[in-house]
Amino acid sequence: MWTVAEVNHQRIVELTLLLLAAFITLTTVAVAAVAETTDIDWVAIPYLAVLLLLWTVSHLSLRKWAPTANGLLFPISALLQGIGVAFVLRINPELLTGHLIWSAFATCGFITVIAGISDLNRLQKFQKSLGLAGLVLISIPVVMKLIDGGIGSYRSLRIGSVATHPGQLGTLCLIIFFAGWLATYRSRNTAEHLGQTEPLEGDPSRFISLIGAWLLTSITVIFQSDVSSAFVLVAIFLSMWWVAVGRPLDLAIFLAATIGSVLLALTSVPELQDRFAAWTDPWSNPQFGEVINRSTFALAGGGLTGTGPGEGSADWVVGATDQFAFIPIAEELGFIGASAILSSFLLLTGVALRLSTIARREFEGLSAIGIAIFFASQAWAPIAVALRLLPPNDISLPFISSNGSALFTCSVALALLLKISETVSPKADPTEILPRVTSESEGTP
Amino acid sequence: MSRRLVHVGIAFLVIYGLLFFRLEMVQVVNAKNLRNHPQNTREIMLDFDAPRGLIQTADGEIVAQTVAISGPRNRLRQYPYGSLYSQVVGFISAEHGGSGIERSHNGFLAGSDLSVRIQDSRDLFVDQARTGQVELSLRHDVQLVTRAAMAGHRGTVVVVEPNSGSVWGMWSNPNFDPNHLSSHDLSAAAIDFNALNTDVAQPLTNRAEYQSVEIGSLFTIVTAAAAIENNLSDFNVPATSSFPARSNFPIITNSDENECGGTIKSLMISSCRSGWATIGAEIGHGPLEAVTKRFGLLGDDPVRSENALPGTVRATGLVSSVPHAAVGTSMKLTPLQVANLFATISNGGSQMQPRLVNRVRAHDGSVIHNFGPRVVNQSVSKETAAELLGLLSENVKNGNAAGLELSDVSMGGLLASSFSESNHLWMVALAPVTRPEVIVAVLLEGDDFDDRQAAEASITGISRRITEAVLRLPSPTLGGS
Repeated sequence: MWTVAEVNHQRIVELTLLLLAAFITLTTVAVAAVAETTDIDWVAIPYLAVLLLLWTVSHLSLRKWAPTANGLLFPISALLQGIGVAFVLRINPELLTGHLIWSAFATCGFITVIAGISDLNRLQKFQKSLGLAGLVLISIPVVMKLIDGGIGSYRSLRIGSVATHPGQLGTLCLIIFFAGWLATYRSRNTAEHLGQTEPLEGDPSRFISLIGAWLLTSITVIFQSDVSSAFVLVAIFLSMWWVAVGRPLDLAIFLAATIGSVLLALTSVPELQDRFAAWTDPWSNPQFGEVINRSTFALAGGGLTGTGPGEGSADWVVGATDQFAFIPIAEELGFIGASAILSSFLLLTGVALRLSTIARREFEGLSAIGIAIFFASQAWAPIAVALRLLPPNDISLPFISSNGSALFTCSVALALLLKISETVSPKADPTEILPRVTSESEGTP
Repeated sequence: MSRRLVHVGIAFLVIYGLLFFRLEMVQVVNAKNLRNHPQNTREIMLDFDAPRGLIQTADGEIVAQTVAISGPRNRLRQYPYGSLYSQVVGFISAEHGGSGIERSHNGFLAGSDLSVRIQDSRDLFVDQARTGQVELSLRHDVQLVTRAAMAGHRGTVVVVEPNSGSVWGMWSNPNFDPNHLSSHDLSAAAIDFNALNTDVAQPLTNRAEYQSVEIGSLFTIVTAAAAIENNLSDFNVPATSSFPARSNFPIITNSDENECGGTIKSLMISSCRSGWATIGAEIGHGPLEAVTKRFGLLGDDPVRSENALPGTVRATGLVSSVPHAAVGTSMKLTPLQVANLFATISNGGSQMQPRLVNRVRAHDGSVIHNFGPRVVNQSVSKETAAELLGLLSENVKNGNAAGLELSDVSMGGLLASSFSESNHLWMVALAPVTRPEVIVAVLLEGDDFDDRQAAEASITGISRRITEAVLRLPSPTLGGS
């Protein structure tokens, strides 16, 4: 039992926004159901009920185990997830059962992190094993591609009938590892600066991280032909590294080396050449270009205000429930709706980045930056592919895509962010944007 | 540390700004162009399973209809005459979009056009499927005659009624059977589509509207119009066998190296290229270009039938050397443009918009849209047009279109042959020449042209057979006017 005074205002903000997210999701489904071309029937109701139940469970567990955690993060992710379900429901209802099972699994992961990790700093002790696990996970798709030798970077590791994409979880593990590494690096250099240790002579170990990141990126580009994933890796690495180390000369060397590997791959890897050809002229390469053309036409068909939910071209764009999940949303909700989705991702990133400035320890702050950029770049890349800002590659949109393992990874990452925000004293929380609810008000659930 | 955090924040604001910018460009600024893009098949694909109106010819033959069938998809689009109308009517397919009238008039057929959707006040409140029926200007009898005359040849025929701009016949070979592409067997449809789409002969292209071919000496009719307008109709060209080369442009020779000259009348009947070049030099570049422009032959937007889909942009212009321009060097036109040019001359110099669709009807048969005759431009004066018809008539009596002559009808016509770059022949026939009721433009491609005289005889025979048959067909009141 909670008394009125015990409920933190962050949770009240969260509940209010969750109700709003639920309302938007249900409205989207309802409008799509009225459209004449769709046949959403009463079967949709239990699915939506399960989704709302999962949100409630997550919200209650936050109340119990992380009452002071930031109240904005979870509703944003819930809204994105709800929109995703509303579109999957119509485009390919057969995916829905699997999607909801994965959502339940992701919620379990979310609650495990919220309830199980009482002090985030203990994660730093596991940083080496996490780093190793990250390397293994991230190299699974590369090895799989090298073994079967086919075209395409979107390899799923099948365990029975369950398909997973281990690369993203690997990236998350590497973020934690790298945050720990950078925190140690900084403390060592600060100690040197204060004269507490022997001079390190410019600390040559700083090159280890640069070389490691460059190798990972090069392998992704050369052996996987995956520019999008390489972009995500570089974006996360550079953001964390720039905030923690910030040497302009090293940055220039790293960028030059990375561009060098991309150019080298461009001259020698035929698949990458095909992808770049499809990028510069989608008509020249139907294998990779057709989906880009269809995306463009679908977006143009939507226009400023969209065709309305349920009136779009559904799965005409291949991958409309996963890699190109943004397309049906932008088509049916128009430029206005698409901007709202983009803004949600920006808001998520902004809130997460500000968390890092008020985190108590550098490890937590750097982890927050890593996870913030993890969301921001993972969301940017697939939309950029559809808009021809990146060569065509397959990558899932966080929370929206009907891709179980990606949803799981994103939920765990979100839970970590919430844990980081929890250690912050509520009074110093600058992310508070809604008026504070006084403890005397009627705020019980 | 926090200052550098701001850098990261700004960097991501910038790249997200790029997304907003691109999204704005695609969804708002360029949206209209993209929706009308020739290869955009989204809209027609959305309408594949929907109720769809029928397409019929001016004489009432149904050439495309949607029938109810049992199965997972409960409607099937059928084309009863197969390839006979394939180039004009096009096809609609589940995965490969559509073409022709099916695509350009999709809004009417599928009922997404507001005028079709809301046919009476009740439709504002009841959401029911309304479709429109498209009535073509094509005549089934003319199509059959055309196909029979062209049997065994590759090429294109366009038959136009000059007074109204109605296209009575439009047929070309190679073509395709649209029933294969609208099939519900999607894998078979995909195989057929890919085979047709990759075929070098391009059977999916409507050659009459979307393929420009060098017209050569057909252009001399435009030069003649310019000569008449510039008071050069009595200008006497001294007899020569060739016109000298100019910088970058080769020498202009006559066929069989014969010497010829005289007024434009004798130049026309002797197909005197060197003489036309001399006349062209007399006219000058500006006046010749002005006449060509008034006929609508210049620019990057060639004359197409009303509401036709845009094609790939290709600018046509006169070459810089006037004598070469006057004999049609590098002038490429579509068969419909050629038919339209001669229809303009036959219609007293007034250019009509070519039409493939007469009207759109509602479910109860009432007319929603009537695409009546529409004057585009007065290209040349009535007097000039009459003089040009006289030249064409003389050309049938004594010139290279002599084989066109019919016993009881006076004809006009022009033949263009011997192209250096490709193997093709053009012929245009007008009948009756005193007040033309029908224009037949024939383009033959890929025949065995080693024997030029046989090829010329062959195209003349085809043109004569079609003209004669169309004149005899008992439906003069059809086609508007």
